[in-house]
Amino acid sequence: MLKNTVPLLITATTGFVLIVASFIPATVSWGETAAVWFDILAAIAFVLGGGNLLMHNLKKISNRQAGWGYAAVTLVAFIITLVVGLAKFGAPPSTNQEFYGEVFVELPFSAFPESQVFSVDGEIPEHVDEEFNELPPSVRNQLREVNGTIEFTGWMQPNQKQDLLDYDPSLAWKCRIDELAEKAQPPESLRGKVRFRSDHEALSFEGVMSDEDREALLALSDAPEWQEAVTTLDERTHKQTVAFLVTAPESYELPEAMTAVAEYNSETRQLTWTGPMTPGQRDTLTDRFARIKPLDEAGREAFVAEIEAQGDGLSEEQRIAFDKVMDTAWTVEQFAAAINQAGIGKAPEKTACELLDEMQLGDALAVNPKKEKPEDVELNDEQLAAIRDFASSDSQDIDAFIDSLASLGELTDAQRGAIQSFWQSAPTVGERNVVLFKALAAEGELTPEQKQLLTADSRAEVNWENAIADVFYAAHQTKYPWSGDYTASGSPFWWCYEYLFKPLTATMFALLAFYIASAAFRAFRAKNVEAALLLGTAFIILLGRTYAGVWLTQWLPETSPFRTENMSVFIGQVFNTAGMRAIMIGIALGVVSTSLKVLLGIDRSYLGSSDD
Amino acid sequence: MYQLLKKLDRRHVFLMMALAVGIPILLQLQFPEKPTGLALAVFERVDELKPGDKVLLAFDFDPASEGELGPMATSFVRHCCEKGVKMYFLTLWPVGPQMINQSIDTVIKPDFPHLIYGEDYVNLGFKPGYEGVIKVIVTDIRQLYTTDDRGTNIDEIPMCRTIQNVQDFDLVCNVSAGYPGTKEWVQYAATPYPDDIRIVAGCTGVQSPLVYPYYPDQLLGLLAAIKGAAEYEKLVLEEYGGDDPDSKYTEAQRRMGPQLIAHVLMIALIVAGNYVYFAGRRRGDLN
Repeated sequence: MLKNTVPLLITATTGFVLIVASFIPATVSWGETAAVWFDILAAIAFVLGGGNLLMHNLKKISNRQAGWGYAAVTLVAFIITLVVGLAKFGAPPSTNQEFYGEVFVELPFSAFPESQVFSVDGEIPEHVDEEFNELPPSVRNQLREVNGTIEFTGWMQPNQKQDLLDYDPSLAWKCRIDELAEKAQPPESLRGKVRFRSDHEALSFEGVMSDEDREALLALSDAPEWQEAVTTLDERTHKQTVAFLVTAPESYELPEAMTAVAEYNSETRQLTWTGPMTPGQRDTLTDRFARIKPLDEAGREAFVAEIEAQGDGLSEEQRIAFDKVMDTAWTVEQFAAAINQAGIGKAPEKTACELLDEMQLGDALAVNPKKEKPEDVELNDEQLAAIRDFASSDSQDIDAFIDSLASLGELTDAQRGAIQSFWQSAPTVGERNVVLFKALAAEGELTPEQKQLLTADSRAEVNWENAIADVFYAAHQTKYPWSGDYTASGSPFWWCYEYLFKPLTATMFALLAFYIASAAFRAFRAKNVEAALLLGTAFIILLGRTYAGVWLTQWLPETSPFRTENMSVFIGQVFNTAGMRAIMIGIALGVVSTSLKVLLGIDRSYLGSSDD
Repeated sequence: MYQLLKKLDRRHVFLMMALAVGIPILLQLQFPEKPTGLALAVFERVDELKPGDKVLLAFDFDPASEGELGPMATSFVRHCCEKGVKMYFLTLWPVGPQMINQSIDTVIKPDFPHLIYGEDYVNLGFKPGYEGVIKVIVTDIRQLYTTDDRGTNIDEIPMCRTIQNVQDFDLVCNVSAGYPGTKEWVQYAATPYPDDIRIVAGCTGVQSPLVYPYYPDQLLGLLAAIKGAAEYEKLVLEEYGGDDPDSKYTEAQRRMGPQLIAHVLMIALIVAGNYVYFAGRRRGDLN
């Protein structure tokens, strides 16, 4: 009964549901549900397939059947792939699941301090369509309506605020959310450092927790769970990481902003880092190499002379390639344009509460959603001259340059940001020289000394970046160690895929060419009219799929049906289509008949036996 | 000659094939391509898309057929990037994610670094279930795709918020090496929703006779094998190539060199085989 009737019923029910769903639009969702179950079963089939593979090959090895050695290889390969793939050996945690620069401690939602519940007057809007009354998942645990007030437990993150703003388009709701988001923040001294991530049920802290920070956090609640969580978090933010920066130059000094969390001994080159390293800190540490500046004609000649001094002179093609690379450097005009662009005043948007107030006071339709546009700020002549001086000087101190520009005329915050971002987007000398090396090498020979000259800076930069990246990952306290991608580059699974699976499968496919060639020579004979027709068609297709066919009949007009490439397409689209359609229609009729037999329980061979 | 050909060892045939393929690769032989109507149809369907349109790129192939299908996948991605459309990658093959990553790593990241993951392109990864997956996502993509390949909830991915099912895409580009592939996309997506789901495809040479019957109604364009890829590649390069295109964008055209010599060798072998057959029959020597 269980062996045959239940599978039969499942097959029949699913089959009929899919047929009904295909013809009656109102039942489409039934078909979807059946198909989802099919997909789940298909996933389970992978597991069953693995089990079957194990059983079959173990049996073969155990019985010492012919080819048992191959079975052993298959089994070993299967187990290795399965283990390294499932355990994700060597796969670093996923970067979008980790919170670099933060340390975490588990804290259930119920243990969050009651003092940190914030409220504003108002109600959560109801929508006509029930589907839209569900609160966004990111705030579902934290937001509730209590006696005409909206309460939020915890500190609202920017993404939570955005999700809530998207919940309802009314200005009144947006105003309430703006007010609530302003209130639902940690104490002033802790803002930007501490976060409560309700979806992770965890408290996180960025950087190193000072004594004042710890006291401020402990003061929020006397509950032992909270006190313990803060103490643990404090300890974790003080974890020290020691590394040796062997590629650091002798004169290397830590940037001033890092001295609070790091110590560097220039003699032993030992770096002692406290707490986790944020991506911003990593970038600051990494960014110590000179960026390019535009080279004038004299500068270019001097650079060419420097390259030529290390070997042969550059050929004409190499000289053109050299100039092409140099022309990609930023120009004074581009720099000035970027600063002036940022100086164009943009009218800030009014907040929802400001708009609501204005609408309630006057004509709602006349309200301008934007505030007054500030004046445009453009660089003056002295500032432009300062940019030219900076471009031609050796200085790499962008902060001093910003200060000097500000001292010569007005400079807005947006313009300061534009200068920083323009400068950060300029390539380093090492990056530029590698591009130059590739361009020159593509156009002619370079001596090993010239290669050394052009790639030395880049090597130093990459080595330094790697050294800092090592500290960055060593200082990081992993939250989800298994969150990484099992195919991550460098992992054992990736290695199996890249150096075993990929070449082996490609080889198997490529072997077809050899076997087809041999078979064509030995078996493709015009023994009768049908075989001769097949042979003629094969010639046309083989030639028509290459330039040989085009070349052979190029004397014919392009639209001539007798050109080989046109005949090839014609055979595919007409003769092949006609034949294939006939076969497909035949198959479809056969499928209908077989399916009916299966659904009605007449054909039971798929159950493993046709006897019962 | 007859005796020589009659006794031709198959190892010599293998050697000739190895030389026919190897020498053009080493000499980098390349021949001009003339796009046919099928490739032109694919190019036009992609090229008529507007910036911001949504394109589903279903890469249903594996490393075995990468040599034949990889170049057309590269050209599809390049063309979509040039058009500024939103790209949604998915695959029904277990090793398809690697093929998707390869396209992202070789085309999008180095040549279109301004495109942002989650805003301009997203990788929805692999789902088991063969045509069952297509059957579900043509009406509700969230039934099966709740996260992307990185595990991010698709409701948190900006470009996924507006997608309910495959009918919301402006075009489906399928690169297929077999089952499940183009045939299943046509049968379970394009056929039930002829006005809403538009598909163009690229497939292996072996598969192309099976999908020819669907062109031009259920399938709007077809790239058959490396030849189709080379034709499409040429069209994309003519429109967006620049003076000195990167070699990865001329891969299919470079692979046509070995294909030409190998095809000519095949014809020569068939002719030689038939010469042996007929000469043997005339001589009464059919053993």
